[in-house]
Amino acid sequence: MKSSWAKLLCRLLMVLMVWSPVQFAQAGMIGTDQVVTAASQTDRTTVLEFLGRADVATQMQSLGLDAKSATERVAAMTDSEVQMLAGKTNSMPAGADSTGIILLLLIVGAAVWWVWFRR
Amino acid sequence: MGLVPPLAIRSVLDNARVIAGVFIFAAVGVLSGCASLMPQTKELAKALPAGLPEQVELTATPFFPQTEYQCGPAALATVLVASGVKVTDQELVPQVYLPERKGSLQVEMLAAARRHGMVSYQLAPRFEDMMREIAAGTPVVVLQNLGVFSSGWHYAVAIGYDYQKGTLVLRSGTQERDVMPFAVHEVVWMRGGYWAMVTVPPDKIPATADENRWLAAIAALERAGDARSSRIAYRTFLGRWPQNVNAAVGLANTHHALGELSEAETVLRKAAATAPDSVVVLNNLAQTLSDLGRDQEALPFAERAVAAGGPFLGSAQKTRDSIAARLRSKTGGIERLQ
Repeated sequence: MKSSWAKLLCRLLMVLMVWSPVQFAQAGMIGTDQVVTAASQTDRTTVLEFLGRADVATQMQSLGLDAKSATERVAAMTDSEVQMLAGKTNSMPAGADSTGIILLLLIVGAAVWWVWFRR
Repeated sequence: MGLVPPLAIRSVLDNARVIAGVFIFAAVGVLSGCASLMPQTKELAKALPAGLPEQVELTATPFFPQTEYQCGPAALATVLVASGVKVTDQELVPQVYLPERKGSLQVEMLAAARRHGMVSYQLAPRFEDMMREIAAGTPVVVLQNLGVFSSGWHYAVAIGYDYQKGTLVLRSGTQERDVMPFAVHEVVWMRGGYWAMVTVPPDKIPATADENRWLAAIAALERAGDARSSRIAYRTFLGRWPQNVNAAVGLANTHHALGELSEAETVLRKAAATAPDSVVVLNNLAQTLSDLGRDQEALPFAERAVAAGGPFLGSAQKTRDSIAARLRSKTGGIERLQ
């Protein structure tokens, strides 16, 4: 019980944190990002969108970030990027390293090159 | 028998890798006649695309040897420093690295560059576009999958190529100059959907920029909160594509955000002359005039915006109503005074 309340509280705080810097900007002006992304050429569905941002920020927190940096990182994304990430932060490719395999691929590559360019 | 020493496990794994390698080697050998395995390399082998030099290498590109799992910060630092940002890979770790994933997401690579005032642009998934960017002096971040059994996503930075040899030069992992045949690069690059990005200062336009996608990239920088840099980027954009009304809207929005209301008005009036029925232009012009305290002048534009309708009708109605309300309260005040 306690933890679910804490979760709810966290979520609310996150929504507020994501919301506040944007909310006061340019009341009345239609934002450029709304205009140029063909997919979402409508009035922004404000609440849903900020919930989406809060969701992604929460997911990123669960992947080892603190609340502040998760919020800042989400703030640098566009709406469509947020939608792309929502629910998928765990499954999307995360570039890391694979130095051990490079040599192997070089050998494969050399073979391909040999076959390809020397024909 | 005691426990198997770690070294033995490693050698078993290595053997597995070698076996996999032999298998792939054979498979590639068999399939190399089949174009679907590396369609772009095949296309490229026929002829060098027009206007590209035979050989390029951006030797001045910095090198950040990656520490464990952190090729994302390293690759991003490489291109950011090359575009003139003062940053190190370590400073980027808290901006792109996800500890539990032990890696960096593509979206975050694009987003983090914006926090340094750069426009990040995802290239069209083509070898030719990557080569054109390099030839124009812009190093390109590419996402490769080097894994055989497990996933092995990896960011590297393409900084040069040699067409005659058919090789690409990359800053990759701990290798300052990784030379990779086109075909190998295509095989590992294809697995990530040929994902590639560049970071560009706001006063430049990438060699392969597409008008609409480049504008969206600038709008993303604006959305991230950097009005100053995006203002420069919109100006540069309008220098190339002066007829683009959406870019004018963007430029005006950055002026508005920076409190330069009369500049915003000038830009929007010009845009309204080109696109007299644009709800966005009319609405934003009305709002700007109202913010300048000229509600009387603003109202007709707000009315026109509402009349034009379309997907932004809701916003236009709100703007009109608030301007009308302000006018009412003003005149009401005057009447009371009289």
